[in-house]
Amino acid sequence: MTNVEYAVDDDTIAVVEDTDLPRRLKDNVYETLEGRDGVTVEDADELAKAVEARYLDTRVDPLDPVGTVSAQSIGEPGTQLTMNTFHYAGVAEIDVTQGLPRLIELVDARKTPDTPMMTVYLEDEYATERERAHEVVWKIEATKILALGDVSTNVADMRVQISLNRDTLEERMITPEEVAEIIEDNLGVSTVQQGTEIQFGPEEPSYRDLLQLVEELRDITFKGIEEVSRVVIRREEMDDGDEQFVLYTEGSAFGDVLEIEGVDASRTTCNNIHEIHRNLGIEAAREAIIEETNNTLAEQGLDDVNVRHLMLVADMMTNRGEIESIGRHGISGSKDSVLARAAFEVTVNHLLNAAIHGEIDSLQGVTENVIVGKPIKLGTGDVDLRMGSTSPGGSGGQAD
Amino acid sequence: MVDVSQHELVPDHSVLDEDTLEEVLEEYDIDRTDLPKIKRNDSALPDEAEIGDVIKIVRNSRTTDQAVVYRLVVE
Repeated sequence: MTNVEYAVDDDTIAVVEDTDLPRRLKDNVYETLEGRDGVTVEDADELAKAVEARYLDTRVDPLDPVGTVSAQSIGEPGTQLTMNTFHYAGVAEIDVTQGLPRLIELVDARKTPDTPMMTVYLEDEYATERERAHEVVWKIEATKILALGDVSTNVADMRVQISLNRDTLEERMITPEEVAEIIEDNLGVSTVQQGTEIQFGPEEPSYRDLLQLVEELRDITFKGIEEVSRVVIRREEMDDGDEQFVLYTEGSAFGDVLEIEGVDASRTTCNNIHEIHRNLGIEAAREAIIEETNNTLAEQGLDDVNVRHLMLVADMMTNRGEIESIGRHGISGSKDSVLARAAFEVTVNHLLNAAIHGEIDSLQGVTENVIVGKPIKLGTGDVDLRMGSTSPGGSGGQAD
Repeated sequence: MVDVSQHELVPDHSVLDEDTLEEVLEEYDIDRTDLPKIKRNDSALPDEAEIGDVIKIVRNSRTTDQAVVYRLVVE
């Protein structure tokens, strides 16, 4: 017997479990029954049967063009999305591309999003103590020289002088010796370090080289991950009611962050589907595509788009084990039919190449049959009907 | 190294044995090459999986309780 968490009697469970409903709908039925007084087994049976009938009725029919329906169901609300790259300062003052540009970015499977970001969850004491959470922040956020102290150029002696701020160094857990060493490694100069003062200069006195060194010095990442320009720390309430520190980053380096101590590698995510694919595999990428497209629509109040449509899109994009874009360079461009490809974009190129290679179109799809004027193989178009009966003895049904 | 399978975005992956595979292919009336694919270097792939194996994936579905899908290991 299946375990049911709801306060209903065994007979009711028996009639509900007997139906052809998926788990979630069964649970919904139990919930409804639980909330009502004086429900007899007959009532429960009637309700379960009604739900089942409705469920079977709303399933997709064989030969239904689900792709076309999905395209329309996402396309129509898509017309209501914001068209400009609207930066929305929602979560923790971090700019994130929203609306139509974001949706296009997702279905085009761009290598990097316009505004990459990560949501980093922390584990154990890192999530509850601000001090510990900050330790993780300094390991993620890229620290440049200007954050550590002042840089000045002494033109008379041809020297670059850095005066580091001791408090900042302590806070970010880096020593002046380390700073000096990183400078030597990156710029190939020898430095003189005394306390918090660091000095260095070009080998030959040259005004140009001196300025060049200062330029390069500013680009060095002393601590943290180069791609991450900013980290915002926020205290958030979790589903279980506890409060935790959560980090939001501008810029992303998903693989690197997962390795950092204190980062919860089971919940941390980023908005770059390719990074998710690389680090967590194709199934996680599919999950992320659904999640991201759904959130983009929900953000604009269009969350009544059925998630099944988005799931279909994600399934198609991940079907070959890698992320493919929708469109000429991806799924539409890899169709078997020449005519279907030619009808989509760059018509002449496709026809020319097909002619050169002697391609044959077997006219299986929709587009090519519309072009040649044949019924499409969908719905009633794929069903052959015959008059009368073929069974011997003529006992079959009469044609009408 | 991070244990990828612990991430909440990653569903359960397991290698399907040949007998069960036959049943699955018969049920859907398809060849194994008709299945969706998964690359051999996929991070979530079990270590013992080889090219030509079929992976059973049990997703936490949004529309039903659990959804079982299959992917063929390629390349």
